[in-house]
Amino acid sequence: MTDDVMIELQHVSKSYRGQQTPAVEDVSMTIRRGEIIVLVGPSGCGKTTTMKMINRLIEPTSGRILVDGSDVTSLDPTDLRRRIGYVIQQVGLFPHMTVATNIGLVPKMLGWSRTRIEARVDELLHLVGLEPGHFRNRLPRQLSGGQQQRVGVARALAADPPVMLMDEPFGATDPLTRDRLQNEFLRLQEKLQKTIVFVTHDFDEAIKMGSRIAVLGERSRIRQFDTPEQLLSNPADQTVAQFIGAGASLKQLNLRRVGAIDVDEAVLVRLDDTPTSALRRLDESGEWAVLSVDSERRPQRWITARDLDPQQDTLDGAGGPVTTVELHATLHDALDAMLASSSGATVVVDDAGRYRGVVNIDRLMRAIAEMREMQRNRDRPVTESPEGTATRTPPTQRSGIPATGDGESR
Amino acid sequence: MTFLEYLQSRRDLLIAQTVEHATIVLMSVALATLIGVMIGIASYRNPRARAVAVAVAAAILTIPSFALLGLLITPLGLGYLPALVALTLYALLPIIRNTVVGLTEVDPALTEAARGIGMSRLRSLATVEIPLAWPVILAGIRVSTQMTMGIAAIAAYVGGPGLGNQIFSGLANLGGVNSLNQALVGTLGVVVLALVVDLCLGLLGVLTRGDRRTTRRSRASTSGTRPGEPDAVGALAKGPALAAAANTQGGQR
Repeated sequence: MTDDVMIELQHVSKSYRGQQTPAVEDVSMTIRRGEIIVLVGPSGCGKTTTMKMINRLIEPTSGRILVDGSDVTSLDPTDLRRRIGYVIQQVGLFPHMTVATNIGLVPKMLGWSRTRIEARVDELLHLVGLEPGHFRNRLPRQLSGGQQQRVGVARALAADPPVMLMDEPFGATDPLTRDRLQNEFLRLQEKLQKTIVFVTHDFDEAIKMGSRIAVLGERSRIRQFDTPEQLLSNPADQTVAQFIGAGASLKQLNLRRVGAIDVDEAVLVRLDDTPTSALRRLDESGEWAVLSVDSERRPQRWITARDLDPQQDTLDGAGGPVTTVELHATLHDALDAMLASSSGATVVVDDAGRYRGVVNIDRLMRAIAEMREMQRNRDRPVTESPEGTATRTPPTQRSGIPATGDGESR
Repeated sequence: MTFLEYLQSRRDLLIAQTVEHATIVLMSVALATLIGVMIGIASYRNPRARAVAVAVAAAILTIPSFALLGLLITPLGLGYLPALVALTLYALLPIIRNTVVGLTEVDPALTEAARGIGMSRLRSLATVEIPLAWPVILAGIRVSTQMTMGIAAIAAYVGGPGLGNQIFSGLANLGGVNSLNQALVGTLGVVVLALVVDLCLGLLGVLTRGDRRTTRRSRASTSGTRPGEPDAVGALAKGPALAAAANTQGGQR
């Protein structure tokens, strides 16, 4: 075992008394430091059971689980759990405690001083995007679902655990909020570099969140353990392909982020510019519209020649609405925003909402072509049988070492 | 002698008896809370243990109070002790029952979260489960208090303290000078005392809630100002056994 390995499952099984077939059967998996591993599979396949065995909420019947090199059964379960962040779908914030108390629970159990806990709570609230002064003393029921889940994540991060277990953490929120939470979490993870085991039944979420994805079948048997790119282009068997569902190629748009592709520049005008000067800029550039931005360079509206009224002093209120995507958004999000926008282009903004560039459909097509090219190069050494039960070379793009459970493709 | 004259002439005695009455009720309810909450905590996770605990407590409640007090004379003699024991036994059912209901109704996601972030069983009980079940437990305590108020009057039969002595001596001298006054002052005293104590417990509920739990259920179960059965039914929508038991008790009084 190298230093790189954070969690290792060795032939782990779980059977319940009175049940003929085990709930989890012979699962082996190696998880490296800083990875997000997504366990994805139909409901009842044992993915949550597998995850809960890592922090011993469920005790394995046989097999070994190593976290950071030590066998979990040799550790005190409560100590172990305090060192592993835990986020569940229902959030599970204690309704009779304030946000600050909830977040500070684990540090308190670890015996931190009051002042240290207070400082940490404020730091975490900042981190998850909640203003401490405003939210510290609120009760969970005074928060929206998305805010509650943010606090849930903050609570799990409180004692800075190297490992986090997340059981459908964004499953209970509406699609819009879920999307935002996912993006925020990915941004957070870039900074924190935790080792994360993430359980979901939503394959799209798996593709978005995972560095590697384990597609689980019945009894939590690993059908394929691979990078999202490999899963989409090379499903190990029919079942995996079925689970991925229709539109695998469309889903590949989820694999690239807007920040990773080239963007175009729009012609910018300021809100307090005069319509006459805007018209001149528009004519000079030969573009179909100019983009108005406020003093913080936040995009406001697309303004075409028709929207410009020379009678007005400023550009305030002129033009049509703008759709924006963050750098972290996927190309899929960008396409979605483009289709929703009358202009057929979407504006890329940074974390603070400031203008970074424009993506239009041509740009997107070029990025897709690039992805195809990359894939073709990567797939070249693969010898593949028609059924897709392939002898594959290890995935190379986002992971180097094949999973121990990967050889099980049937 | 009119009722008011009677009240004035026996002022000291009546105050003493009222205090005694309140003391023995509060003591037995306190004891029953201690024992009942512990039994509830010990049994709520196991359906069979839970059923046994509630059934036994319900069985005790169906023993007519005269009979139980009489039976306790043999091992415990006359006076304060048998009264205290009998009242404590009667007070157990609502408290056990509500503790069990309150604890089992804590959202499983919360107990799982408590375990998941590394709370031990005891810590989870003390910081999460009992605080969340508290409004329901307190409702049980209020029902118990109301019930034992009435039964405590009968404890005078075995030489126990309290306002029951007024009632019994009134009934014994039926037709005598002050018999009606005595029976009346005893009965009214118990009722007024019950209302006052219930009001205090209601206030305690508001204070310990800390304005944090205003779910519909907990509000419904603690806000009843009428003593006795309606409250019991409100607190224990799931507890027909108690409602039935409370009715039996009502018949006995």
